[in-house]
Amino acid sequence: MNALISTALAGVVMMFAGLFIRNKQHIKFVAIAALLIVSVANLAELSTIEGGSRTVLGMVTVSHFSILFNAIAFGATLIYFLLSGSAFEKVGEHVADYFALVFFILSGITLASSFSNLLMLFLAIEIISIPQYILAGSNKRTPKSSEASLKYFLMGSFSTGILLMGITLIYGAAGTFNIEELGLGNGDINPLALCGIILLAFALSFKVSAAPFHFWTPDVYDGSPTVFTSFMATVVKAGSFIAFIRIFHGAFTGTNISAHWQLLLSLVTAATLLIGNFTAVFQQSVKRMLAYSSIAQAGFMLFAVISMNKYATQGIILYAAAYSVATIGVFAVTMKLKDYTFDGFNGLARTQPVLAVTTAIFVCSLAGIPLTAGFFAKYFVLTAAVQQGNLLWLVVLAVLCAAISAYYYFRVIIAMYFKQGEPATKEEITGGFKVMLVITAAIVILLGVFPGLLLNLI
Amino acid sequence: MGMSLQQIVFGVLSIISIISALGVILSKNPVTSVLCLIVTFFTIAGHYIMLNAQFLAVVHIIVYAGAIMVLFLFVIMLMNLNAEIEPQKRSWLKYAGAISGGALLLVLLAALREASVSSLQPGAVEIGLISNLGKTLFSTYVLPFEVSSILFLSAMVGAVVIGKKEGHES
Repeated sequence: MNALISTALAGVVMMFAGLFIRNKQHIKFVAIAALLIVSVANLAELSTIEGGSRTVLGMVTVSHFSILFNAIAFGATLIYFLLSGSAFEKVGEHVADYFALVFFILSGITLASSFSNLLMLFLAIEIISIPQYILAGSNKRTPKSSEASLKYFLMGSFSTGILLMGITLIYGAAGTFNIEELGLGNGDINPLALCGIILLAFALSFKVSAAPFHFWTPDVYDGSPTVFTSFMATVVKAGSFIAFIRIFHGAFTGTNISAHWQLLLSLVTAATLLIGNFTAVFQQSVKRMLAYSSIAQAGFMLFAVISMNKYATQGIILYAAAYSVATIGVFAVTMKLKDYTFDGFNGLARTQPVLAVTTAIFVCSLAGIPLTAGFFAKYFVLTAAVQQGNLLWLVVLAVLCAAISAYYYFRVIIAMYFKQGEPATKEEITGGFKVMLVITAAIVILLGVFPGLLLNLI
Repeated sequence: MGMSLQQIVFGVLSIISIISALGVILSKNPVTSVLCLIVTFFTIAGHYIMLNAQFLAVVHIIVYAGAIMVLFLFVIMLMNLNAEIEPQKRSWLKYAGAISGGALLLVLLAALREASVSSLQPGAVEIGLISNLGKTLFSTYVLPFEVSSILFLSAMVGAVVIGKKEGHES
């Protein structure tokens, strides 16, 4: 609850900061300070929880898991603010409002990690979505940004409609919104509930850009200002996944009912892995490649949804952290370059060795190379699926797809180290930026060597 | 077995709402679509009244049929939309939409046919009155009620960000 209240307040503070503070640099500092306070408030709640979890008014259940996930989301956002916060100023004039919207998204994510009522699920998804529609269209100088915003808004509202329809059907079958009291699938399956679950699965698959509901992703991620794409593809996606996992593991685990949606979602996972990886291979722009890679990574995160055991919860925590941090890093470097294509990276190792080394580490983590965080993240979600027993075919497919993904990730490394070129940067690379990049890369390696640092906290 | 008055009213309302909803999507002229949508809203409000949700029915008419529909009509008038400038959609897209929508309809219909819906009893007459609604809203559902203010706040910030003119930058 602390996290929810403090993020909402931080959003309001940012709105007023825009009124009183003229210097855009100072607005960024206010945002970073606010985020630090929010993180402390979130962690302070750990001591107040007795017996694992605390339910507020039957709507929100705060647990160690939700607080840990919030901490990861806030930490990733902090890295994002420090690395890319100054790029907010280049998008448009309403810098403070963009920060406010980011804080509102964060309050949606805190809800997504702790809801225990279908109404709160709906609110969480909407609070996450609506600021994104605005951030996508915030660059009014290019029509591409407006197009991305409109496209995202129309499709997103439609999928919210489907989500609501699903919630309605589940309410009709169970007579309650409370996910602990739903009790679906332990006796006879009510077809209404099954329909509701399918619709819910579709709507949430759209939100996490799983195939075949992914068509909006490349256009929206490509058209939005890069600085906001970086946030949408990482922290927000992880937040939507937590909502997905909470509802499906929390309410639909009845023995008769889980087999139905597990089959459906394993097909979705297979499609996501194949489409994401194969399309990413053919991209020429790094930004667009990252958009497809985010679809491919969503395929791996879906493993945590379809396998219901301890490894899945650990896996999604680790995956959220590893994927978010590494992708934020790659985006931060990409944003500094003039040319977003692979050729724009040619010869970066010679002109900017620090940028090249850190980018190589981030990309290795995304590909799942050992000693980086991405390796253990993939290891845990795949172990979860192996433990499940009947998903071996999917695991084999995932391993093959991970091998394919190495191709397009390593293209970045090859461009940086083995090709000649004069990569043009948009601005002077400051020492502070380099230090932040090195710290971020250190986090990626630290989590890759000692994943227990995060996992022991659950 | 004769039908009760309630069943007759329900049937008539449902038929009108389905026909007018079809009119919304099938009509070529946007103004006709909007007018059909207004009829649909009124029939849905009728359903609310039959469920003893009088306040909801009134709000539904004021907000949707009143405010939002007027906005729709204004937009249509200002943009001078008519059938001629409606973009031609590719035909395979239409077929794909019809097939997938039809498949969903089939699944939902099959599920509804199988479902055992316990007969719905409308609550007491005064259950939909504003005082009872207010009591529930501020006791059981106070948290979602308050949290939705974050949603509206972010939408308002968005309206300002999107709507306000940017200064004279290049």
